[in-house]
Amino acid sequence: MNFIETLINGLSIGSTYAMIALGYTMVYGIAKMLNFAHGDVIMVGGYMLYVTLTATGNPILGLLAAVVFCMLLGITIEKVAYKPLRGASPLAVLITAIGVSYLLQSTAQIIFGSAPKMVNVASLGNVSFVGLTIPVYVLVTLVCSLVIMTALSLFVKFTRTGRAMIAVSEDKGAAQLMGINVNRIIMITFAIGSALAAFAGLFMLMKSPSLTNTLGAMPGIKAFTAAVIGGIGSIPGAMLGGILMGVVEAISLKIPLIAPYTDAIEFLILILILLVRPTGIMGKKRREKV
Amino acid sequence: MKSTLKKVLVSVLALTMILCLVSCGGARYTAENTEYVLGVSGPLTGAAAVYGVAVKNSAAMAIDEINANGGLNGIKFKFVATDDAHDSTKVAANYASMLEGGMQVSLGTVTTAPGMEFSKLSQEDNVFFLTPSASGDKIPENANGFQMCFADGNQGKVAADYVNSTGLKKIGVFYKSDDPYSNGIFQQFKDNLDDSVETVEAVFTGDAQDFSTQISALKECEFIFMPIYYQPASVFMTQAKSIIAADAVYYGCDGFDGLAGQFEDFSVIPQEVSMLSHFDSNATTGAAADFIKKYTEKYGAETLNQFGASAYDCVYAIYNAMKAAIDGGKEIPVTISASDLCEILKKEFTGDFSYSGVTGTDIKWEDNGYVSKEAVKYTLKEANSAK
Amino acid sequence: MAGIYQKLKPYLNYVVIGVLTLVFAVLSLTGGLRSSDIYMLEKIAISIMLAVSLSMVVGFLGELSLGHAGFMCVGAYLGGKCSCILEPTLGEIPALIVSLLVGGAVAALFGVIIGLPALRLRGDYLAIVTLAFGEIVRSVFMNSSDESFGGSLGLETPRFDKYTLFIIALVLVLACLAVTQNLIRSKHGRAITSIRDNEIAARATGINVTKYKLIVFTVSSFFAGIAGVLYSYSNYTVQSTKFSYNYSIEILVMVVLGGMGSINGSIIAATLITFLDMKLQTILTGNLAVLQDLFYALILILIVIYNNASAFKDFREKYNLKALWAKFKKHDPAHIKDDEAKWDRVPSKIKVDEVLSVDLQTTSPYTPDKGKKGDK
Repeated sequence: MNFIETLINGLSIGSTYAMIALGYTMVYGIAKMLNFAHGDVIMVGGYMLYVTLTATGNPILGLLAAVVFCMLLGITIEKVAYKPLRGASPLAVLITAIGVSYLLQSTAQIIFGSAPKMVNVASLGNVSFVGLTIPVYVLVTLVCSLVIMTALSLFVKFTRTGRAMIAVSEDKGAAQLMGINVNRIIMITFAIGSALAAFAGLFMLMKSPSLTNTLGAMPGIKAFTAAVIGGIGSIPGAMLGGILMGVVEAISLKIPLIAPYTDAIEFLILILILLVRPTGIMGKKRREKV
Repeated sequence: MKSTLKKVLVSVLALTMILCLVSCGGARYTAENTEYVLGVSGPLTGAAAVYGVAVKNSAAMAIDEINANGGLNGIKFKFVATDDAHDSTKVAANYASMLEGGMQVSLGTVTTAPGMEFSKLSQEDNVFFLTPSASGDKIPENANGFQMCFADGNQGKVAADYVNSTGLKKIGVFYKSDDPYSNGIFQQFKDNLDDSVETVEAVFTGDAQDFSTQISALKECEFIFMPIYYQPASVFMTQAKSIIAADAVYYGCDGFDGLAGQFEDFSVIPQEVSMLSHFDSNATTGAAADFIKKYTEKYGAETLNQFGASAYDCVYAIYNAMKAAIDGGKEIPVTISASDLCEILKKEFTGDFSYSGVTGTDIKWEDNGYVSKEAVKYTLKEANSAK
Repeated sequence: MAGIYQKLKPYLNYVVIGVLTLVFAVLSLTGGLRSSDIYMLEKIAISIMLAVSLSMVVGFLGELSLGHAGFMCVGAYLGGKCSCILEPTLGEIPALIVSLLVGGAVAALFGVIIGLPALRLRGDYLAIVTLAFGEIVRSVFMNSSDESFGGSLGLETPRFDKYTLFIIALVLVLACLAVTQNLIRSKHGRAITSIRDNEIAARATGINVTKYKLIVFTVSSFFAGIAGVLYSYSNYTVQSTKFSYNYSIEILVMVVLGGMGSINGSIIAATLITFLDMKLQTILTGNLAVLQDLFYALILILIVIYNNASAFKDFREKYNLKALWAKFKKHDPAHIKDDEAKWDRVPSKIKVDEVLSVDLQTTSPYTPDKGKKGDK
């Protein structure tokens, strides 16, 4: 029983990671850049949720506001900080991403102060069946993320825009020659990734209502790890990696002897998996042409 | 060609460095002071910023009050707060810049980890410091260091004594294994606990926000000792409110202070919450209530916590001690060197000087720098079932 | 005059650093340096060493490493522990030498261990493995027992006399420069850069890629370890929280801003960033402290965009330092335009492969930058 509860906990932590990892992986697949500011978009989403909740008290409205604001933010970041660097070395873009990350964090502290904000999204309580006690938010997180991930997979597979995304991630130049507006596709990708980050922010605040300007930093890195475990650039891979990370985290935290080393264990698993499969579990092997 | 560029850059670089050294001139130190200078290094940014900001605000408030009342024999005080972002490597630069800016007496650091560095550095120059909240056992190990808060080891011991006296057979402990504060209290707590008491331990690290696993480990416990800060504690309580038995007791140390402010309505937590501390930020009587009123009027309730209260007391304790020394026939000119002032203050603090303020009455200091005042058990919230 | 300059040119950085070291040493011994300057010099020396050693991996070998702080952490803890144990019996200087060697050697050992997966992994996958390594190291030291490495409170280490430590650090920087620069300028160095430019082609010409990758990782982590030991000597406590991925990224920023594959660039960037960081920290105090990160971030973004954005290309070429300098000396900058390698615009490996691959060749004339090549 206890083990199943841990497992469900792990699934819920994992699905939050998966949401963030999806954003990472999509942006990487298309813009070929590590968007280190992604974790901080979660934090901005959290603050937007907080502002709307205090003003209206309606969590649905709050979520909507957060999603819309994050999408706009994602697009703005892309336009201002990344787009001018298209064609420059990927490392230069990495550095601006880090700059944007610091910028968002310190702006949040300047606007909202240093004290943590309490965001009580909704008190949902627990459900128990067949001897298991599971908080409702865990189930909400799980179901929501499953729905979003399925929708995203379908979107990428079956819509024109989605297939254009695949084309751009395969070969930017060829896609452009086929008449795809690459800049538009990259913009849409950033918007979707940031919207997913807003959802992740909601899930994290449902779990723990305390909101600070460093909310997204560590989950961001862990989600990045999850994306790499799954094979960066691959959507099902990001989900798988996220869930795996979550379950490992939950189990490891449960065992007192290794609990302090939880982060280390997660990273160790990453190394082991990459040693066996150098491009992640579902990553595509890239054949090099000479 | 590239080297021309490099040549320019290198010469610019060398020029900047030499310019910086020359233009800033020599160190000013205390010789040109027109006010007494009091400095502190604390986390004003980053994850621990709320503690540093509270100290900065409260100390500034105390200084403003003192200056408004004419300072010390007409000499005013100046307060400098530098940012260490809870990173011990930033302390040396802060310390040096404050000292060169004329700092004569200090509040040390706000948090323990950078405090280790500060305590050693200040010993080199013999600078007196009275830290409001760096509670590590080793902080006052040198003669120039004093604490206003309880040392961690002490808190752990007192908490263990309390548990021993209640006769509980099985308790839970929830602590943060990578935090010196939490770890320090926990180790002393464990060492002083009766062998007959069975403990269930659950730990977390870093900025963890999801405690579901730890909660299910502690599910069976009726008494949970939580030597952690209020922010993770509130997260834990929110997540655990319907899983852990409603008649369980959460028992914390001074880090719990500020907890009530984390909830819109504290009564959503059914369990009893109490703490052993020197300040309760919901106090309605006495000096604490006055402080709370003044602070919230000036800075709002958001950053009100025991760190601030303690810092407020530190400033007044130093002020009173300086005043007592002057009354006792010592001279404290405005340009007194940090080291000379340190000797005077050391003598005062280890003598029969006592101070009454927000965080306690008749506060005295032991020769080793630890504070000696009464720890009060505050019940922040009764169990809901008791209503 | 010009002849001497031409002869000295390859050794310019030694001369500059050496002269500055002497100047500061004299200033320090005559009491002309404030302790804040001394801390700054110590930090600058450590940063330079970190940036130069990371630049070996990132700039010359072309592998992205986000775990440099992890190697430094190993060096800091082991060197620090070593000096704790040895100082009472051996005295200060021998203890310093032994701890430098121990810290560097153990870090180098870890460099080999991390270098091995580097043989199998590419680009960002290697980056995340190094990041993971750094976090694992940090976590292990964080949870160590109080007796071994001090656990969460950190390891207390002896602090070296501050008036001489920065001189030792700057001398070690010179040593580090001598090793890396000679390695890069040798035949081995050309082999290393050829791996960066095209690994498969390098392999095909008979270069032992495995050997060179391991050499670079080992040398680079050795010096990171040395920097760690210096760090432990410049602080009273070594705390593992410092060595998080954020610090690795900070070092990477120095390398990237300095220009990939430019050792002097790394030195200048490391100096300026450390200087900026510390000045922001000590000038913006009290209520202004929240602006530190804001300024830092803005400066970072603006510099990178200005240096790399294609929109500013013309502006950059017209008004950069070298053009201004040339104007000042009444030189026409045009005649020296083509004979330099564009180190700061080294494309990533994948891009090089794409350029070289036959089926993509056809698209290249369409990209505007390529037009100029045809002119030549």
